[in-house]
Amino acid sequence: MNKSATQSGRTKAGGITIIRYRGVVKRYGDFQALSGIDLDVHAGEVVCLIGPSGSGKSTLLRCTNGLESIEGGDIEFEGTALPRDERELRAVRTRMGMVFQSFELFPHLTALANVAEGPRTVLRKHAAEANRRASAMLAKVGLADKAPNYPSALSGGQQQRVAIARALAMEPDVMLFDEPTSALDPETIGEVLNVMKQLADEGMTMVVVTHEMTFARRVGDWIAVFDAGRIVEQGPPEQIFDAPTTERTRDFLSHLGWTG
Amino acid sequence: MTFDWSVVWQHRDALMAATGTTILLTFATMAIAVPCGIMVAALRLYAWKPVRALATSYVELFRNLPLILVVYWAFYVLPIMTGLGLSPLATGLAALVLNVTAYNAETFRAGINSIRRGQVEAAMALGMSRLQALRRVVLPQALRRIMPVLASTWVSLFKDTSLVSVIAVTELAYVAMQIRAQTFRVLEMLTAMAAIYWLLGYPQAKLVDWMQRRFAVTE
Amino acid sequence: MDFDFSVITDHLSFLGSGIAITLLLSVLSGTTSLIAGFFVALFRLYGPRWLKPLVVLYIDSMRAIPVLVVLVWTFFALPIIAGVTMSPFMAALIGLTVHLAAYAAEIVRAGVESVRPGQSRAALALGMSRAQIVRRIVMPQALVRMLPAFGSLLSITIKDTAIASVIAVLELMRQSETLAGQSFQPIEVFSFAMLVYFLMLFPVTRGVDMFYRRVAHLGRS
Repeated sequence: MNKSATQSGRTKAGGITIIRYRGVVKRYGDFQALSGIDLDVHAGEVVCLIGPSGSGKSTLLRCTNGLESIEGGDIEFEGTALPRDERELRAVRTRMGMVFQSFELFPHLTALANVAEGPRTVLRKHAAEANRRASAMLAKVGLADKAPNYPSALSGGQQQRVAIARALAMEPDVMLFDEPTSALDPETIGEVLNVMKQLADEGMTMVVVTHEMTFARRVGDWIAVFDAGRIVEQGPPEQIFDAPTTERTRDFLSHLGWTG
Repeated sequence: MTFDWSVVWQHRDALMAATGTTILLTFATMAIAVPCGIMVAALRLYAWKPVRALATSYVELFRNLPLILVVYWAFYVLPIMTGLGLSPLATGLAALVLNVTAYNAETFRAGINSIRRGQVEAAMALGMSRLQALRRVVLPQALRRIMPVLASTWVSLFKDTSLVSVIAVTELAYVAMQIRAQTFRVLEMLTAMAAIYWLLGYPQAKLVDWMQRRFAVTE
Repeated sequence: MDFDFSVITDHLSFLGSGIAITLLLSVLSGTTSLIAGFFVALFRLYGPRWLKPLVVLYIDSMRAIPVLVVLVWTFFALPIIAGVTMSPFMAALIGLTVHLAAYAAEIVRAGVESVRPGQSRAALALGMSRAQIVRRIVMPQALVRMLPAFGSLLSITIKDTAIASVIAVLELMRQSETLAGQSFQPIEVFSFAMLVYFLMLFPVTRGVDMFYRRVAHLGRS
């Protein structure tokens, strides 16, 4: 892959590379989920992965923090290849926050305890320190008043914001979002996207798998279009949404009714 | 310690006959308790209110009593109440039927109730009668939930037939313990008894597992 | 038919001691089988590979053999092999535990497996270890989900203690049968026993269900 194709128009390309994917291959039995992914994520960038369902976007995200192993290629995080050792991998995971499509809040814990769980159990913070940090993070996502509530008493949008706070409480270097709004009612999608926009404005490095094209267009710094386990096109949002260079990208966007 | 396992072989005919009785009791009980269970479930679901309450009380009472107590009760009390001199086998069968009917009734009721209201409404919106909706829409779906429960009730029943040994029904547990008492080969006979139950019960337990996977309801 | 319930009032302490033994045996065997079953399930889920077939064999065997057979074998045959004598109560406690622990283990396993894999994934993403995930994320939710099944297991335990009458444990069933035979008033005696068992069992199932409804959301991911 030549440099100009991956870097032209990349405003934040000057920052250090946080995640570097080179020739990443992932197989499930006979099915090739990823066949040779090359992609860079720079510090402070919002990289959006778009494309049809089953094209490999979420798989790449799960490979990024080692929830799935890869069969070929390399994934480097902050200049070091992802470790295979379970203990070292856990240390890497603490520096990547992840937000899931189905929230995956822990139902037996209050909102505050959900957010404090990582700092307590993994970072070994004292309860007071963990709770203080959790309160701050809940306030950040606008849910300070929901601290004592259990997940079952929260709306989908609120649950997802707590999940974002839970990931932020680990003070990660990068946030991975796996279709964070796909399971939400239309009226609560906005509140989650707003929180994500606010994070982007603060300079958080983010990799976002999304079907929200408006968000990708407005907030994304770099867009990668997936199809059948490959990146068919990547570039700045202006290129992808206004002047796509491949037929696949045009097809995908027109299927979504994207008009620019 | 010396063990004499030949005692088991010497009494093979008696043990075989007793095993036959155990199996017969299981089949006979289920054959009666399924239709009875459906009837009681129907009474609980659709009957006139006082009858409904009566059916519910019966089910709740017998599900909350130890079966062995029902067996003793049938042995001592049924002859007084009915004035009939019932054989131990008939008495044991009656006790088992009373017990299993209550469980089956609950199984059928829960199975039918587990089908969402929307299914009946959708069927009636197509112009079906209530009875048609029950027969063509509710029951086929309910059956998937009922079958695995019936199967595990079956295994429980197979094991529970051993309890009628306390009123001298000549099934496997009773006969094995009789031979033990006559021959004083305690360990051999009791182990043989356990082994026969295991040989018969183990495949049944596995079959239940298979059915539970086969009929697993995914929504 | 005339009923004369004075047979109950006249032998209240005789029957009462039976009730006490029933309760004691229920609580003890309920507790021991729960603890034992918990460990059996942990072995089945997370134990070494060679151990799993043995654990499965034990569990399925207990599902195949009647309690009566287990109790009788424990009381009469086990002492011959082990060379020790056991009180009927002790034999009942051991037999019931061995039998019921298998059921408890199945409940624990089903509860653990019912927790969605997404929950473990979320915990992994936070950097938790396997042990931390089991202890802090999976088990608490699984325990909530197991409640109704544990409720019915407790009621099965109480019912199974009645079978200990066969090995001469002087619990309620045994005392009732003795009294019924001696007094020639089986209707009164057994009606009383039925009432007592029902009063013990019904609140257990109902109480657990009610409690579960209140906490169910803590296990619903």
